[in-house]
Amino acid sequence: MLMVYLRARLPLLLCLLLLAVAAGYPLAVLFAQSVFPDILGGSLDGFGEAYRRILETPELPAMIRTSLAWAGAVTVVSWVFGIPCGYLLARTDLPGKLWARLSLLVPIMTPPYIAALSYILVMQEGGFADGLIGGLPEWLRLWFFSFWGVTLVMALASFGYVALAVEATLGSLPRRLEDAATLFGAGWVQRMRYVLLPLLLPAVFNSGLLVFLEALSNFGVPAVLGTRSNLPLLPAEIFYLITSWPADFALATSLSSLLCLFALVCMYGSRWLARLLGGGAFRPGEGALQPLGRWGKWAGWAFIGGLFLLSSVLPYVAMVLTSLVDSWAEAELTFTLRHYWALFEPGSRGLQALLTSLGLSLAAATICVLVGGYIAYVNVRSAGPLQRVLDGIALLPRVIPKIVMAVALILAWNAPWVPVDLYNTVWMLLLAYVVIYITDALNYANASLQRMGENLEHAASMLGAGRATVFTRIVLPRLRPALLAAWLTTFIVCMRELVASILLLPPGVDTTATFIFNQFEQGEIAIAMAMATVTILLSTVVLVVFQLRRRG
Amino acid sequence: MATFMQCKGLTKEFAGQRVLDGIDLKVNQGECVVLLGPSGCGKSTLLNVITGMLAADSGTLACRGRTLDDPANGIHVAMRERGFSMVFQDFSLWPHMTVSENVAFGLRMQRVNAPRRARRVQEVLDQVQMGAFRNRRPDQLSGGQQQRVAIARALAVQPDLMLLDEPLSALDARLREDLKHELARLLRETGLTAVYVTHDQAEAFTLADQVAVMNRGRIEQCGTPEVIYNEPRTQFVAEFLGASNLMPYRRNGSSIVIDDGVLDLPGNGALAAESGQCLVRREAICISSERCCSGDDLVELPATCEQTNFLGDRHEAFATLPNGRLIRGFADGAVHRGGAVHVRFPASAMRFLSD
Repeated sequence: MLMVYLRARLPLLLCLLLLAVAAGYPLAVLFAQSVFPDILGGSLDGFGEAYRRILETPELPAMIRTSLAWAGAVTVVSWVFGIPCGYLLARTDLPGKLWARLSLLVPIMTPPYIAALSYILVMQEGGFADGLIGGLPEWLRLWFFSFWGVTLVMALASFGYVALAVEATLGSLPRRLEDAATLFGAGWVQRMRYVLLPLLLPAVFNSGLLVFLEALSNFGVPAVLGTRSNLPLLPAEIFYLITSWPADFALATSLSSLLCLFALVCMYGSRWLARLLGGGAFRPGEGALQPLGRWGKWAGWAFIGGLFLLSSVLPYVAMVLTSLVDSWAEAELTFTLRHYWALFEPGSRGLQALLTSLGLSLAAATICVLVGGYIAYVNVRSAGPLQRVLDGIALLPRVIPKIVMAVALILAWNAPWVPVDLYNTVWMLLLAYVVIYITDALNYANASLQRMGENLEHAASMLGAGRATVFTRIVLPRLRPALLAAWLTTFIVCMRELVASILLLPPGVDTTATFIFNQFEQGEIAIAMAMATVTILLSTVVLVVFQLRRRG
Repeated sequence: MATFMQCKGLTKEFAGQRVLDGIDLKVNQGECVVLLGPSGCGKSTLLNVITGMLAADSGTLACRGRTLDDPANGIHVAMRERGFSMVFQDFSLWPHMTVSENVAFGLRMQRVNAPRRARRVQEVLDQVQMGAFRNRRPDQLSGGQQQRVAIARALAVQPDLMLLDEPLSALDARLREDLKHELARLLRETGLTAVYVTHDQAEAFTLADQVAVMNRGRIEQCGTPEVIYNEPRTQFVAEFLGASNLMPYRRNGSSIVIDDGVLDLPGNGALAAESGQCLVRREAICISSERCCSGDDLVELPATCEQTNFLGDRHEAFATLPNGRLIRGFADGAVHRGGAVHVRFPASAMRFLSD
C-alpha cells in the first residue's frame, strides 16, 4: 500500500526533496541562527539576543528605516519616470515606438552596479563631468552623492519595469470601457480619473512593489554608491557584517531575516492589493491612438530620450571611454586598447574570471532549465496537499532576496554536520546560482505548461509510454521555446551576477562581476570598465544571436 | 409619428472597403428599430456611426432636427455630446466600480446631485430586478446579471436614444430568451426610442417595431416584422429569415414556368418580373405519403423522401423532385426515407422575387 503511494508520488517527492535541500534547509538554518546565535556550535544559548542588539544599537533601526525610505523613494521616482513612458507607448501615436521600447530595455538589461560605477566616474571629483564639460557645480555633486542621487541611479535602472507593466495593462484594457464612459458624457479628465487610473492601479502597485523589493534587496548600488554617499543600506550592511573581521553572523542573519520579512510582506501585500483592486482578465482590445500633435511628439520624445540619455547613454559612454582612455588625468585624451589586452593576456586574472563566469553560467543555466522545467511540470500536473507544499517552496527563490539566500547557503554548507566540503569551492557557487536563479526557468515553464493541455501526454501514456518517456519525448520538446528563453535569461543574469559570487567565491577565484567590483575598489578603474564592457558585449551578442536564430 | 432620427446616404470605408454603402434609415419617436443581418454586413458599423464612435465618410445623420454628422459641411458632433446611451455586447461594465457606481456614472457626468442620483439608481436597478445586487462588483455577477446592470446603466440617464449592440449574444440560450422578453417590456414601458443590432431573427421579431435587414453595407428591406417575413423583396431577405425553398422561374407569355417546367402556372404572369426566384416557405410545404383531394389552389408534386429530422413538435422532411431539386417542408403523417411522397403547398404561398 505504502509502496504504491510512494511510486505514484515519486516525482512529487523527488522535487520536494530537491527544493527542500537546496532552498528550504539553508533558510531554516538562517532563521534558526538568527534566533539562537550559537546553534551551529550546538548550543541554544542567547535566545533572541541578535534581535535585541538590533533594537539597542541606535544606528541599526535608523539604517533599516533609511533602507525602507530609500526603496520607497526609488519606487516613487520609478513611477514618475515609468508611468508616462507606458502611457506614451500604449495610447499615443508617438513615432518610433520600437526605438522607445528598446530604450527602456537597455537599462533593464544593464546591471545596476555597473551603472552605479559608471555614474561615479562621471560625477566624482576629477571625473568626466569635470574633465569634459568643465567643472561640475559643487551642489550638484553633493546632491548626487546623497540619498537622492543614489535613488536616481537605482530608479533609472528600474523605471523600465513600471513602463512596460503600464504599457501592457493599457494595451489589454478594452477601449470599450473608455468609449462607454465617453458615451455617458465623460470628458478626457473624467475618463482618466474615473476609468483609466483606477484600472491601472493594480499594475502600478504591482510594478511598484517589484521595484521596491528589488531596491530593498539590491546589493550592487548600495555597496558601490551607498558607501560613497554616506548612505548605509541593509544589503550592504549585511555584506560588511559577514566579510569584515570578525564576522558577525548573528547580526547578519537577524538582519537577513528582517529583509526576508519585508520581502514576504511585499509579496503578500501585492497579492492582497490585486484582489482588493479587482482588475481581472480582459479580452485585449484594439483602439484608436490619441494624436499627440507636433509639440506633443517633441515633448514625448524629449522625455523618453532624456531618460535614455541618463539611464543608458551617460553610463555606457563613461564605461567605454574609461576602458579606452590611456591616461586618466590629462586634458588631452589619448586612446589605447591596452586594458583589453591586459584582460585577455593568457593566464591573467581577468581572463580567468571571464572563463570562470562563462563556465558557471553555462552550467547554471542548463541545470536551472532542466531541473526547473521538471519541477514546474510536476507542479502543474499534480494536485493535493503535497503539491501545495511544493508550490509554496518553489516560491522561495522568487521571493527571498539574493543576498539572504547567499548568506543562508554559507551557513548551511559550512555547518559542522555537513559531510562534504562544498563550501569554499566553485561548486558552491554553481549551487548558489542554481538556487537563486532557477526562478526564471520555473516561471517560463509554468506559464508555458499552463497553456498546454494534458491530452497530448495522456495520448502518449495510453500508447504505453512511461513517465520518463512522456517527459523527455512529449513535454520537453513542447517546452523548448520557453526553456530556451529561460536559459538565455539565466545565462545572461549569471554572467554578471555579483552578490552570491562575492560572498561565496573561494579565495583567489574571480567572476566577471567580482573582478569588476574588486578592481574598481582597488583603483584599477580602466581594467574594471574594460571587463564591464566585455561582459555586456558578450551577453548582448548571445542575446542577438538567439533572437536572429529564432527569427531565421 | 414624428421622425426622430434620420440617416441619408451614409457611407463608411475601411481600408478601401465599403462597409456602409449608402444607408437611408428613418427611426420614429418611441420606436425600436432592429438592424438585422449576418456578421460583416455593416450593422455594427452603422451603430458606431450613430453613436459617434466612428465618423461617416459621407451622407448625413440627424436626430430631432439637429444635424449630428454631415462630413460635407464638416459637422461631426462628439460622442459625449449626443446624449445617447448604449448597451454593449461584452457588457463593458467598469470592473473597478460597484453595480450602483456603474449605473450612477452617467448621472454623475450630468452633475445630478447625490440624493437624486441614489434614488434614480435604485429605481432603474429595481426595474431590471437587480436592486439587491447594488454593492456587488461586476465580476461577482453572472453574465445575465451583468447585462441587466448594463441595461440599467443605459436606462438611468433617460437617454434620447438607446443603442443596443447585440446585447444578448454573449448569453446562453435560456437566459437570452428571458432577457429578450424583458427588454421588450422595458422598451415598451419606458417608451424609449431604440436602435438594436442583432443577427438573431427571433430577437428581431420580438423587439422590433421596424426591422431593417442589412446585407453588404446596404439596407435590403425595412418594414414591420410581418411585412419583412411575408413579403420579402429580395432573395437575400427571403433566405436570411426563416427556412425557405427557392426555385428559379421565368415568364413565358402570360404563364410562369418554374424550375424549367416542374410547374406551369397559367395566368399569373402579370404578377412577376421577367425572371427570378420563386419562394415557398418551409412551413407552407406539406410532405406526405398520401395524395390529397386536390383543391383549386393546391399544388401537388411527386417526389422522393430524402431525410426526416425530428424537431420535437413535428418532423422536418426533405424530398427530391424528379428534376433533382431538394425541397424542405414539414412531414404530414408517417414519411420514410426513400419512400415516394407528395410535396404539397397552396399556390398563394408562392412569392416571386426578381433577380
